[in-house]
Amino acid sequence: MSLTSELIRNLPKGLVMVGSEATRPFECDGLSAYKQKPLAVVLPSNLEQIKKVLEICQHFKTPVVTRGAGTGLSGGAMPLEGSVVLGLSKLTRIISIDKERQVAVVEPGVRNLAISEAVDQFGLYYAPDPSSQIACTIGGNVAENAGGVHCLKYGLTVQNVEAIKMLTIDGKELSFSRQDDGIGMLALMNGSEGLLGVITEVTVKLTSKPKIARLVMAGFSSVSDGAHAVAEIIKHGVIPAGLEMMDKLAIEASESFAKPGYPLDAEALLLCELDGVEDEVEEELKQVVDLLSAATTVKISETESERLLLWKGRKSAFPAVGRISADYYCMDGTVPKRYLALVLEKINSLSKYYNLRIANVFHAGDGNLHPLIMYDAGVDGELEKTENCGNDILKFCVEVGGTITGEHGVGVEKLDAMCIQYGEDELKVFHQIKAAFDPDSLLNPGKAVPSLHRCAELGRLHVHNGELPFPELERF
Amino acid sequence: MNTIERLQQKIKQGDKLQIVCNDSVDKQGFLNMSAYCGVVEYYPEELVITLKAGTKIKEIVAILSENNQALPFYCQNQEKSIGGIYATSGPEFSDNVLGVQIINGEGKLLNFGGQVIKNVAGYDVSRLLVGSKGHLALVTEVSLKILPQRTAERYQTEPKPKNKVSSLHLDFEKKLKQIFDPLGVFI
Repeated sequence: MSLTSELIRNLPKGLVMVGSEATRPFECDGLSAYKQKPLAVVLPSNLEQIKKVLEICQHFKTPVVTRGAGTGLSGGAMPLEGSVVLGLSKLTRIISIDKERQVAVVEPGVRNLAISEAVDQFGLYYAPDPSSQIACTIGGNVAENAGGVHCLKYGLTVQNVEAIKMLTIDGKELSFSRQDDGIGMLALMNGSEGLLGVITEVTVKLTSKPKIARLVMAGFSSVSDGAHAVAEIIKHGVIPAGLEMMDKLAIEASESFAKPGYPLDAEALLLCELDGVEDEVEEELKQVVDLLSAATTVKISETESERLLLWKGRKSAFPAVGRISADYYCMDGTVPKRYLALVLEKINSLSKYYNLRIANVFHAGDGNLHPLIMYDAGVDGELEKTENCGNDILKFCVEVGGTITGEHGVGVEKLDAMCIQYGEDELKVFHQIKAAFDPDSLLNPGKAVPSLHRCAELGRLHVHNGELPFPELERF
Repeated sequence: MNTIERLQQKIKQGDKLQIVCNDSVDKQGFLNMSAYCGVVEYYPEELVITLKAGTKIKEIVAILSENNQALPFYCQNQEKSIGGIYATSGPEFSDNVLGVQIINGEGKLLNFGGQVIKNVAGYDVSRLLVGSKGHLALVTEVSLKILPQRTAERYQTEPKPKNKVSSLHLDFEKKLKQIFDPLGVFI
């Protein structure tokens, strides 16, 4: 018996897909530069079927790649050669909603936005909002510890998950909760990129919807003026619901795409959203506007439709850049906010060096950058050049004390960059954690943590914490 | 015990050690962290502070209040050290942990996480070790997210009581202990 015939024999008709044509839609995730067809795709609709798939894969020692909606941006759900893709998109039941305790229990295939829609009637919502929230699933969100625009105030996925249930590779059921006595196993599962277990149920925390939200838009004649405003706002005790920054190229692309009325003469644009009860928002609004003295343009949303229009430009920045370039490559580094302007300067010089245009969109409040490197995959060698440029950006992020990925995950994409971020001893610990849960390395093997061999070949040394390479820099 | 090298040496000797943070404890079998204290790095606009493990909560509170900032978690006894809080808390504390520096049971110095609010590179070891009661590794430095005073107050509520976990869950905890402290130094 072969693996595929065992899968077909043991699962209901139509749940198992094999062959080049049927598996093609699953050959990549949101990182379409990397593609690989799996041996089979299985779309189970209940827990018993998931257990059956794991049992068969374990028997045949076949790798399993768990997949939600396939919207991830680092190749975490990209199939491996000879693997089975375990797609959980059919598990879409909202099991229970407890409006008093403000929690909901959902299956892993429930879409992020579907949770908010289901609890809207109670004045609640699920706070983390990755830009793919219309499509991405909660199981994938937990696996990647997904972020979004509102993380600074409302947290990432890890702060908004109450409990999870998961299956180990040998089909054992484990549950982890915030109420567990002992070490932070629940936190470990968040962001484990499908390498430790298969998430089968998630209990999410629900947040009360704010009474009102207002958006302040400010244009600046330089990026450093914008970055300085970000620091001032936070230093003065305001925690905005969202604090986003865009550079000139991103402003231009978004304006011509969504026409939100962004100032085209600005070098940097800041969007600062304040939410909560009316008095508090009004007070913070005054405070923020006072701190924007260096801005060349300031506009405050007066109506809800105006607020949404101003956001629309930012939220469509990626497709807007997609319109002015054949392809683009989205980076995800995070840096201490005091280095925002310096990092942008570096990105601009790399853009000139590699002769590639780069538009910059930041979650400025938490220092998370999304440089969009524009390239043409049709031109020989251009993707490789783009990847080198991206790696140079990430290297610089680590040098100033930041990280290679703030919210997109490592996947297959940032394996080399992981060699910059961590030393051999830390990587060994990661491999040992993997082995503790999955000794035969069958769950998404080779992703998220590079082999020591790979790092040795690259010959890259990581930057040690606390040894900043720019001691001479003024710290503002 | 106030340099990393000395702490590493002591652990490498291989004797069983109990980690404490108390000036009056200075005898065989104890690793007293009270002299390993102080702020490593603090920029108010980053909402991040990095502390040596022996730093007392009351000292941190005093430093943060100069900038109208505060620790966003419950802490009744301000005489405790940040390392002690780290070792005995749960998710309501680890929600604010951004990075950690540890010495493992073999005396190796390791860094996990960092000093930025968003970071998903590698497994989240800096939050995994919260609540490990000093049995897995010696925590030497902790980086925390902090908040403006008025916002932080919302998070300073007493955590709910904890529940016992399954034996399968405990088996995995034991396996993880093996990774950090294979020789069983930390008791």
